[in-house]
Amino acid sequence: MSTATPAANGSHKQRDGAKHLIVWLFLLIEVFPLYMMMQVSFKDNASFIQNPWIPTPPYTVTETIRSFDGSVQEKTRAATWAEVFTAVKPSPDRDVITVTKQFDLSVYHVENWGFGIKLIGPYIANTVFVAVTGTIATMFFAILGAYFFARYKMPFSSVLWSLFLLLMLLPGVANIVPLFILLRDLSLLNTLWALIIVGVAGAQVFNIFVLRNFIEDLPKDLFEAAEMDGASHFQQIINIVIPMASPIIGTLAILAFLVKWNDFLLPLIVLRDKELFTLGVGLIYLDGEYVKHWGQIMAAYFIASIPLIIIFLFTMRLFVRGLSAGAIKG
Amino acid sequence: MALPITPQKALREWRLYAFIVPSIILVGTFAYFPAASAIYHSFYDWSGGETKQLIGWDNFRRAFGDEVLWGSFVTVSILIVFNLFKLIPSILLAVLIHRIKSDRWQYLYRIMLVVPMIVPSLVTLFIWKFFFDPNLGVLNNVLDATGLKSLLVWLDQLFNWGVFYADVPIGWLSQPELILPALFIWGFPWIGTVGVLIYLAGLQSIGTEIYEAADLDGVGPFKKFIYIELPLILTQVRLSLVLLIIGTLQGYGLQLLLLGESGGPGGRGMVPGLWMYNRAFIAGEFGYACAVGMILFVFILILTLINNKYVRVDK
Repeated sequence: MSTATPAANGSHKQRDGAKHLIVWLFLLIEVFPLYMMMQVSFKDNASFIQNPWIPTPPYTVTETIRSFDGSVQEKTRAATWAEVFTAVKPSPDRDVITVTKQFDLSVYHVENWGFGIKLIGPYIANTVFVAVTGTIATMFFAILGAYFFARYKMPFSSVLWSLFLLLMLLPGVANIVPLFILLRDLSLLNTLWALIIVGVAGAQVFNIFVLRNFIEDLPKDLFEAAEMDGASHFQQIINIVIPMASPIIGTLAILAFLVKWNDFLLPLIVLRDKELFTLGVGLIYLDGEYVKHWGQIMAAYFIASIPLIIIFLFTMRLFVRGLSAGAIKG
Repeated sequence: MALPITPQKALREWRLYAFIVPSIILVGTFAYFPAASAIYHSFYDWSGGETKQLIGWDNFRRAFGDEVLWGSFVTVSILIVFNLFKLIPSILLAVLIHRIKSDRWQYLYRIMLVVPMIVPSLVTLFIWKFFFDPNLGVLNNVLDATGLKSLLVWLDQLFNWGVFYADVPIGWLSQPELILPALFIWGFPWIGTVGVLIYLAGLQSIGTEIYEAADLDGVGPFKKFIYIELPLILTQVRLSLVLLIIGTLQGYGLQLLLLGESGGPGGRGMVPGLWMYNRAFIAGEFGYACAVGMILFVFILILTLINNKYVRVDK
């Protein structure tokens, strides 16, 4: 750790200003998509086209317009920011007779969110099922496997280890066609179980690889003491490995969850029924619609992020720490 | 390291094998078997059904004459060069954050780096697709507002590209010439959260006394980067380099969603993985798709071997 003394801190403060500025610039551009998603989700297409960049002001403008055939119409639209801060005047060139401005929260189209929930709520439920089940199974089997490799040099364990490592060289891309056929023959096509099983299998090598290093570094005395007391291997995992390796297990679990949450290629190939769609396929179909209501789409996107927001809210510290510390080893 | 074990004790500990069996079964069934099956079927004329015909090397002969396939390899090479360039901002950002003296700010920035990860990558992809929209998209609006559009039009007239016109919105994903530039711009400013955090972890091992010694010797910020910081994160940079090259070579999800199954207008965004996907699931030529996958596999294998042999950096 670089620990700067208070004196050094003070004397370098001015030089750090430029660095802060650049970092902020980077970070602001990074979160810009998030910002767009949020503010567009409250707009309808008209107010979005009128003002794509900043949130709509909470005002509406009602204009009474005389059409060229003499009839009088009343029209209400969202106000622009310029109109909020200046008095609105009828404009003679557009035959506007009267203009009124009123405070109105209905410019925020909350119904976009309702629509979004109805649209992708079922997809989210499916994805949560796949990702949670898959993550738990991934970590369970990976811890068992890593314990096998880390505890003793069992006969054949080095052969098995090389077989696992070889798999890291195999590009998954060549597999997808036979995998599709295999899933068809196992009649797993169009099921969520296909996604879970393939996801768990695909995550084994990486997780066992990282966890093995970690378990090997745990003090050997702990295991020996436990063995003296007659603890089985499974009990040793529960009582020693899981508590001692919890930061790295947590980080790996978050990464595994993210991978499953973001997967769309396999669901796209495997799933056919709309009731089974996960977020990946669901969003792709949403994107394929002809008439796009950006507000509804962005609301749906935002809802798709909410489970991740909840997870990161609770695990951000763990994630940052685990990735910062565990990375040097990996 | 794992403890050595005597054969007698290993015999008594036979239950330990039960721990590895599930992983072996999973990996064997869903990784090794499909790989073997891909090799086997690449020698067949096979459309996914029961009937298949052994045709020897015909699939590979056809692949060597397949212009789309070779075009896709050219495209993916260009994309790899792009992505190498896109590694730089992450490294710079990590060094910048590391050089900030206050630990509290460093921690805050780290946390803020994680924020974009809450957006599912698919959503990020679609938002970028929306940014590229010719009429409503952010990109064209920014170009218009900053006057860069007129610069592009001027350059166009100068070099006769025939791509940018003053009154026509730029169709980033619909004009064949612009597919590759769009893929380059995609993801600006190209910060990889996991990458930055890993670089930062590597940079942490630099003690303050090294910086103090460098300051005494009058070493400038750029030289500090070259001689102090870069060597320390070279392992991590090399790792992300390798993962990035292999990932780009076999990736096709981005192209599939951004440009469609046939690689967009003029097939400019066609990459080998997408061509394989296209042959298998659009044309139903599963045997040929397996052969394309094999060729891709050979390329990746060669790259991995070269990497393991020559690009090794001492820890």
